[in-house]
Formats: sequence, C-alpha cells, structure tokens
Amino acid sequence: MFDPYYLQQLAIGLSLGMTYALMAIGFTLIFGVLNVVNFAHGEIYTLGAFAGLVLISATAPPIVAVILGALAIGALAGFSLERIAFKPFRRFTDEASLKSRAMRESTLLSSLAVSIVVREALEIVFGSQMRSVPFEYLINTPVRVGPVILVTGDFIIFGVAAAMLIGLQYLLTRTRVGLAIRAVSNNPLGAKYVGIDTDRTIITTFVVGSMMGAAAGILMGLYYGAVFPAMGFTPGIKAFVAMVMGGLSSIPGAVICALILGISESMATTFVSSGWSDMVAYGFLILTLIFFPNGLFGARRERV
Amino acid sequence: MNAFETAAPADGLSRRRGLLVPALILLLVFAALPALLAGFDKGYFYQIANLALIFVLLSASMHLVTGVAGLLHLGHAAFYGVGAYTAALLTSKLGLGFTVTLPLSGLVAALVAFLVALPTMRLVSIYFAVATLAIGQMLYLVMLNWVDFTKGPNGVIVSKGFELFGVSLSGRLAAYYTVATVVTLSVIAIGRLSHSYYGNALRSIREDDQCADAMGVSTVRLKMEAFTLSAFFAGVAGGLWAHMTGYISPGDFKFSESILILAMVVVGGLGSLPGAVIGALLLILLPEGLRALGDFRNIMVGLVMFLSILLLPKGLLGEVSALRLVRQQLGAAWRTTGPANGKGEGIGWR
Repeated sequence: MFDPYYLQQLAIGLSLGMTYALMAIGFTLIFGVLNVVNFAHGEIYTLGAFAGLVLISATAPPIVAVILGALAIGALAGFSLERIAFKPFRRFTDEASLKSRAMRESTLLSSLAVSIVVREALEIVFGSQMRSVPFEYLINTPVRVGPVILVTGDFIIFGVAAAMLIGLQYLLTRTRVGLAIRAVSNNPLGAKYVGIDTDRTIITTFVVGSMMGAAAGILMGLYYGAVFPAMGFTPGIKAFVAMVMGGLSSIPGAVICALILGISESMATTFVSSGWSDMVAYGFLILTLIFFPNGLFGARRERV
Repeated sequence: MNAFETAAPADGLSRRRGLLVPALILLLVFAALPALLAGFDKGYFYQIANLALIFVLLSASMHLVTGVAGLLHLGHAAFYGVGAYTAALLTSKLGLGFTVTLPLSGLVAALVAFLVALPTMRLVSIYFAVATLAIGQMLYLVMLNWVDFTKGPNGVIVSKGFELFGVSLSGRLAAYYTVATVVTLSVIAIGRLSHSYYGNALRSIREDDQCADAMGVSTVRLKMEAFTLSAFFAGVAGGLWAHMTGYISPGDFKFSESILILAMVVVGGLGSLPGAVIGALLLILLPEGLRALGDFRNIMVGLVMFLSILLLPKGLLGEVSALRLVRQQLGAAWRTTGPANGKGEGIGWR
C-alpha cells in the first residue's frame, strides 16, 4: 500500500514534530497563555541541557536524577528570569501602562538582552563547540516497529510530551492555580480586583513553563547526543511558529501544529535538500498569518 | 536644504546659532575624524569607522520603520543582505561598478520589501513582528541555500572597491569619505522624512492606527511606504558594506544582526533619530573599545542593552528631547512666522 520509505519519513517527521512540541508547550504557556513575549525560552532550554550534562559528567547519576536536576535548574532559571527581565517592567499597574505597547516591547527586549547574556556566559564557561553526551546516557537505541525503525528516545519524548500536555491542561482547567493563570492572562487588572496575587501567578507560570523548557532541553541533549550554547535558537523559532499557527493561546493547538511542522519538514527533505526544509516552517507561518490570522485552533481575536 | 533659506529673515540670528550642532557634526565627520584616521593611519581604524557609519545608516533606517511608524521589524538585516548581495552579484557576474550597483542595491531591496509588504502589511503588533521574522529568515535561507546563484555559505568576493563614474575611490581615506557622504546624505533624507508632516502621519499610525485611519490617514499605504523606504536605505547600507569589505557571506545578515540593529534603535530611544545614531555608535564602538576584555565583550553588549532598557526606558535620547533638539537646531520648518505658514505654528517640513 505505502512505500515503507514514506512511512519511515512519516515516523521521522513525527518524532521531529514531537521534539518541537516539547519546546512549544512551555513556550505557549508563557508566551501565549500569559501573553508575555519571552525571547529567553531558548536559553532556558540550553540551560536545562547543560545542567544535565554537568550532572552527568560530575556524578554519573541515574537518568531520572539527571532529568530532575534539569527541572530544578529550569525552575530556578524561570524564577530569576521573571525577577530580572519582567518584574522591573511591571512598575506601574494602572490600566494604561498595562495595555501599553511600550511595556510589552520593553519586556521583549529585556528578555532578549538576558538571553544574549546567558548565551555568551555559557559560551565562556563551556566554549562554543558541541559537547557530546556520554554514550551510555544516549536514548537512541533503535527499535523496530513493523516496517519502520524508531529509537527509544522517540517513545520517551512522546511520553513526556503527552504527560506535559495532559498535566498542563489539567492544571489550567481544573485547579485554582490554573484558574488564576487564565484570569491574569485574560485581564491582569481585573484579576487584581478580585484578589488574585498576580505577581505570584506570573512567577508560577514562569517556573512551570521554564521547567518544561529545561526538560525539553535535556531530553533533546540525550536524544541527539550533543549540547552547545546556541542549541536553543532553532527549536525556539520552530516552537514560536507552532504557537502562532496554533493560535497563540491554545496549547493542544501548538502541539498539533508542531507535529504538522515536523512531518512536513521531513517530507520536504524527500524533494529538496535539507537546507531548504526550514523554509517550510516559515512558509507555513506566513500562510497562516495571511489566511488564518487567528491561528488554526485559536479563539477568535478582534484584530491581528 | 531648502527649508533653511525660506526661514524668516528676522530669525537670522537664532537661525545661525541654531545650525551650530549640525555644523559641528558635519565638521567632525568630514574633517576631524578623517584627520585623526589619517594621523593614526591604521587600516583597522578605518574599518571600524566605516562599519560604525554603515550601522548608523542601518539603525537610522530601522528608526524610520520601528521608531516612527511603530512597526516592530525583526528581519531588517535580511534587506541589508539583499542590498549587499545585489551589489556583490552585479559586480562579480556583470562587472558593474559602484556607481551603478549602489542605487540598484537600494532599489532591489526596496522592491523585495514592497512585494513582501503587499500581503503582510495588514497585520498588526506582534503578528507583524512574527511575519517580518519569518521573512527575514526566508531571505537568509535563500542566501544560504541557493548555491548556484549566491554561492551559499562560501560567500561572494566583491572585486571592485568604491568608484565614482570610473574614478577609483578605493584608497583608505577616499573610501571613508565615500561611506561618510552616502551615509550622511541618507541620514539627512531620513531626518527630513521623520521630522515632516509625513513623519507626523507615521507617528499617528504608531500611536493609534484605528484613530489615524478614521482621521483620513491612509494607514496601510503609509506603512508600506515606510517599510519600503527603510528597506531601500538598508539596501544602500548593504551595497556600501559589500564594496567596503570586498567579501560577503550569509552569516553577516542573520537574525542576530537584525536584533543588534533593533537594540541600537531601542538603546538610543524609539522614535528619535539622533538616538538611533548614538545607539549605533555605542553598540559598534563599545565592543571594539572593550576588545581588551576578550570574550566578555558580548556579555557587555547584552548588559548595556538590558541596563539601558531598565534604567532609561525612553532611550539615551528620548523622542521628546530629540524632537526638541531637532526643532531647535534645524528649526526652519517649525518657525512661527514665515511666508509658507503665515502666523501659524509650523509642525514640520511639508
């Protein structure tokens, strides 16, 4: 029926999409749900990967401990990121400045500045070369499923992404914290009026989102076996694209779009050289913005 | 500069005093700096001076679209790249000289920007920013991957330096003067655009585009014009860069360069042309000055950017003070009396 080659490409695409989805989940939580433009998420991802690498080379713990360590670093990084790059710009809480474009742009640029500092600091400490992960920690043992070959990492990433997605949906729709997050994203001033501690809610969101970013980073490090200071950039852009395609505020939408992206990229490499495959993502982004400005799964917006 | 001659004669004294700062700047750029450079006579200093001037032009063109028209542009470096590649490919494939390639590099960049703007210009705020990011990355991918045409990651060697109608200007000092002249003329043009009725219309779009639309300002058309014009100047900067360095590669035009240019405009002050110029000088000269710090200089750039956003939210020279400065120094268009606007208060060049 199907050429096994295409099935294999499909499987590769799915696992690629899964890796984008992993990043996109945390990204969408901070960027889309909280409505805060955060350019430093890629660096959180890198930090998570480096934290894992340092742990591995220092004490060689079991893999679960490595991931827990990366999560802890992610939480810490998210907390400090919010404190350093976002909190100072919420000095004024009146309606005009909350809605002002100037404030959103200043946090965009401050997070960008922080991301530059973090990336350069990592380059000084670890050097800009790729560092390879010790062989025994890699999660790419091949597994044969019918006509296609997958690796163990694909299943782990699928499991983690699914757990994150379900956990986050539960958190957002079934708990008080999630309710507070949604309230703050909907109307920060209104949330304050009804007694929600907006500062704390925002920090919680950052911590949760950054933990997911760091987990994505260490998993990717173990999956590809290489960790380097600039590793967060490309997945960051792909996660961004997936988020916009999914409609900014919809986490399941972002995941589905990440999968679509991954599959179309791996299919594209069948026809053109791999250098052009990034074109697919940007092409999708432009087409979505022009023809589906609300995103494929997003709620209706007044203006885009 | 026509507007100066039309100023009322009664204003003669203040007019003369008012031109002090521009005169000093011109003196610095065209006499003091070249004298210093010739005194040191090191190729490295010439490189830095030319690089700083080119980034002044890039930052000024970004100021027009992001500062004045309020369109957050995350792909500016790509248009700079389009200009540079136009100049480089015209030189290496057709053997054309600088006199022809410079205007063409601006025009091609403007044309690309116009085509790109047609579908995307109706988007607002962050959606527009994302679209420009995608477009910038797409243009970068074309430069990187269309190996047959652009030579891909190997880059293009530009064999010809500066010249004017066949007269070579490729000596160090002559090259500096060429770059300085082109950049100064372009910055003056951008200044006239952003401190005019036209600039005010763009500012009204930035403040509230729905309101501006309702007042009869053709927002989409104006945004497209601002975007295209800014790409034109970025393309000119690219043409200068290609002929100055003699070698270009896609790495010069990637996303981080767009961000660097954006940082210059923000550090200087959004909406302020003198601020954009100062920001460009700061972010180019500071890392060079900090070369002694070695690897730490890029961190310093990030820190300077962060601290200036935190401590100087309006930028080093904010829009209001910049406008006041411009009105004081080049005030002809704002004089209260004058044949053009009778007794009324002028609000900028027409």
